[in-house]
Amino acid sequence: MTATSPTARTGRGPSAQPPARPGKRGDRTGAASRAPWLLLAPFLALFILTFVLPIFVAVLSSFTKVTRSGLFGEAGVKSEFAGFSNYAQALADGSFVASIGRMLLFGVVQVPVMILLCTVLALMLESASAKWPGFFRAAYFLPYGVPGVIATILWSFLYVPGLSPLFDVAALVGLTPDFLGANTVLWSIANIVTWSYTGYNMLIIVAQLKAIPGELYEAAKVDGASTWRVALSIQLPLIRPALVLTTVFSIIGTLQLFAEAQVLKTVAPAIDSQYTPNLSAYTTAFAYNDYNVAAAQAVLIAVAAFVLSFAFLKFTNRKSS
Amino acid sequence: MSRFTRRQLLSAGLGTAAMGLLSGCATPGIRSVNTAPVLAPAASGEKITLTYWCWLKDAQKVADIWNASHPQVQVEVVWIPGGNAGGYQKLYSALAAGGGPDLAQVEMRSLPEFMLVNGLVDVARYGAQDYAHLYDQTLWGQVSFSGGVYGIPQDSGPMAMFYQPAVLDQVGGTNPGTWDEWAALARELRKKDVYLDCFPLGDASVFTAFAAQAGASWLRPEEDGWVINMTDDATMKVARFFDQAIDEDLVQTAFGAYSPGWFAAAAKGTIASVVSGSWGDALIEGVSGGSGKWRVAPMPTWDGSGFGSSYLGGSTAAILANSKHPREALEFAVWMTTSREGIDAEITNSGIGWSPSPDFIGTPRQAPSEFFGGQSYHQEIFVPAARQQNEDWSWWPVTQQSFNILSDGFRKKASGTSLVDSVAAAEQQIMTVFRNKGLSIRKEAS
Repeated sequence: MTATSPTARTGRGPSAQPPARPGKRGDRTGAASRAPWLLLAPFLALFILTFVLPIFVAVLSSFTKVTRSGLFGEAGVKSEFAGFSNYAQALADGSFVASIGRMLLFGVVQVPVMILLCTVLALMLESASAKWPGFFRAAYFLPYGVPGVIATILWSFLYVPGLSPLFDVAALVGLTPDFLGANTVLWSIANIVTWSYTGYNMLIIVAQLKAIPGELYEAAKVDGASTWRVALSIQLPLIRPALVLTTVFSIIGTLQLFAEAQVLKTVAPAIDSQYTPNLSAYTTAFAYNDYNVAAAQAVLIAVAAFVLSFAFLKFTNRKSS
Repeated sequence: MSRFTRRQLLSAGLGTAAMGLLSGCATPGIRSVNTAPVLAPAASGEKITLTYWCWLKDAQKVADIWNASHPQVQVEVVWIPGGNAGGYQKLYSALAAGGGPDLAQVEMRSLPEFMLVNGLVDVARYGAQDYAHLYDQTLWGQVSFSGGVYGIPQDSGPMAMFYQPAVLDQVGGTNPGTWDEWAALARELRKKDVYLDCFPLGDASVFTAFAAQAGASWLRPEEDGWVINMTDDATMKVARFFDQAIDEDLVQTAFGAYSPGWFAAAAKGTIASVVSGSWGDALIEGVSGGSGKWRVAPMPTWDGSGFGSSYLGGSTAAILANSKHPREALEFAVWMTTSREGIDAEITNSGIGWSPSPDFIGTPRQAPSEFFGGQSYHQEIFVPAARQQNEDWSWWPVTQQSFNILSDGFRKKASGTSLVDSVAAAEQQIMTVFRNKGLSIRKEAS
């Protein structure tokens, strides 16, 4: 059991390297195998401190419970292992479960709409007949450069009756829309999210389109394929990885929706403090001071994001094989 | 063969380090500062700096007046977002991390929540009772719990009715004396497509203030735990009243007071009035073209029962648990809220709410107001309103969550759940929240 013997080290562990070239001085020196770790150290230290450790603490916290005695806990407070009781409490909270359901509904509608939209935009910009593709690419991408909070403030002025010109326009055709009502505000948020992220996702797809070798287009041209045919039989199949990627990102992003709902809350009475799962965890932690239940909620959100992303990947893999 | 790889060694090492870090990461706020020995005042000749986190505008200018005459105790103000809009979140995380300022602005209703995380110093241990006579007794009652004092009242919001006489005049109406008259007036105004007021479904604090005015006292601390009664006659009367008002479409529920939609409607005259705290004056002055069009009247009453007014909002300067100089912080808080120069500076610089000192409402508030048509409404309306308060009202440790539970219920009004049912359901949920926190609570025997 000599973990430090040089022979045991060679070829094992993550720093495994091909055997030292002959002519080099004997065994690999310790320095050579230490080097990658040294180079990785700054990254690893930060990664562990700001990523791995907080996750660990959150999971631990989700299994802890604080009990108090007295009117304000002045007669004694103790912290003890709670098993799954925080999870039970989180799942018994109708508002939290409803927020997850709400995001599922949101995702089922908004993600396909956005992916469809960005794919169409990307295909049009990359088609041979596109005019000023550089300009339009930048224009579509621009909303992504607007921070979510600012975007929501901008849109909220378009949603508020009495301030927004949209209502005057709608009145001309005899409509009285209600963008902030209990049943509509979710779609108003979806609109902001779509506006913000379609350009970004489009750019990922454009990048993949640009990677399609020119010979394929030439071959299609020789065979007399129409633009439609090229899009359906060459471009769409070849940008599949980019579509899968953007969809997974969008699913995760949907579950993490926070800023838009939080900001729109100030003008929309229909948005409650647990409107989205992240808003719910935030409220539980920092408005209700229940860090343990909030940790349980956070873990549940992460699990839900994992499950949904993997289910989608499994689904697309099965279809392709 | 060795089974120890570098990776395993590394992870073992990191694991040990992580355990060390984790041991410092117990759930925050489970140690009380009020059982520790009292901290001594700063030695004479020692210069100390106190930090004060608050959301008042230009509060540093107020502190500068104190700083000029107290070279040994300098106060530095840090602005935070208001209350639950982000300020408390900042304070809670600072407390959880073992830090935070010496003083912080904490609303009356939030004091018990900060007590629950052991975030506040009991300033009675530093002689706060000596100053009790300087303060409004209702407010002093709201900062006192089980023999301790957990904050110094800084401002409050006695309620009154801000209204536009010209709009009421469209139906020949004047300011209503009772809520029944209020409803009759609202009914008339609806014929002109005007709403008398909003009912905020998303903010339960207004409903709570109405219930307190009617004589409710939802929770009170007793020896053996908390006693709750949210289904008393007073609360049910208020709930039934607004159930009917919403059913008859007498109140605007699409937006709340002081929201962008409200300002637009108030300027257009499609919202006639608002029953609100005294601090509403500064906001109403933001209604475009509103100068001279608004007046202030006493709050409508519940026809013989209850109180003349109620408190909506109100905050304290609380001394936070990790302060090294609670004694000096207390002195500053008392100076700021009771001295004439402190109160005047808070009004002119920060536009603070109603003065907690019954002896002095502030020099700027003694003059008639041009915006409110030359009315001296502070003297006329708010001085009496501050005296007609429900002294039995007491806040409880999960106020914010209770408000959220209530407003989540109120939002269901649109789909047919009555306010009466929501309040009764909320009472049950609030009891569950208490129990989940390990606090004992029982329903008042009727």
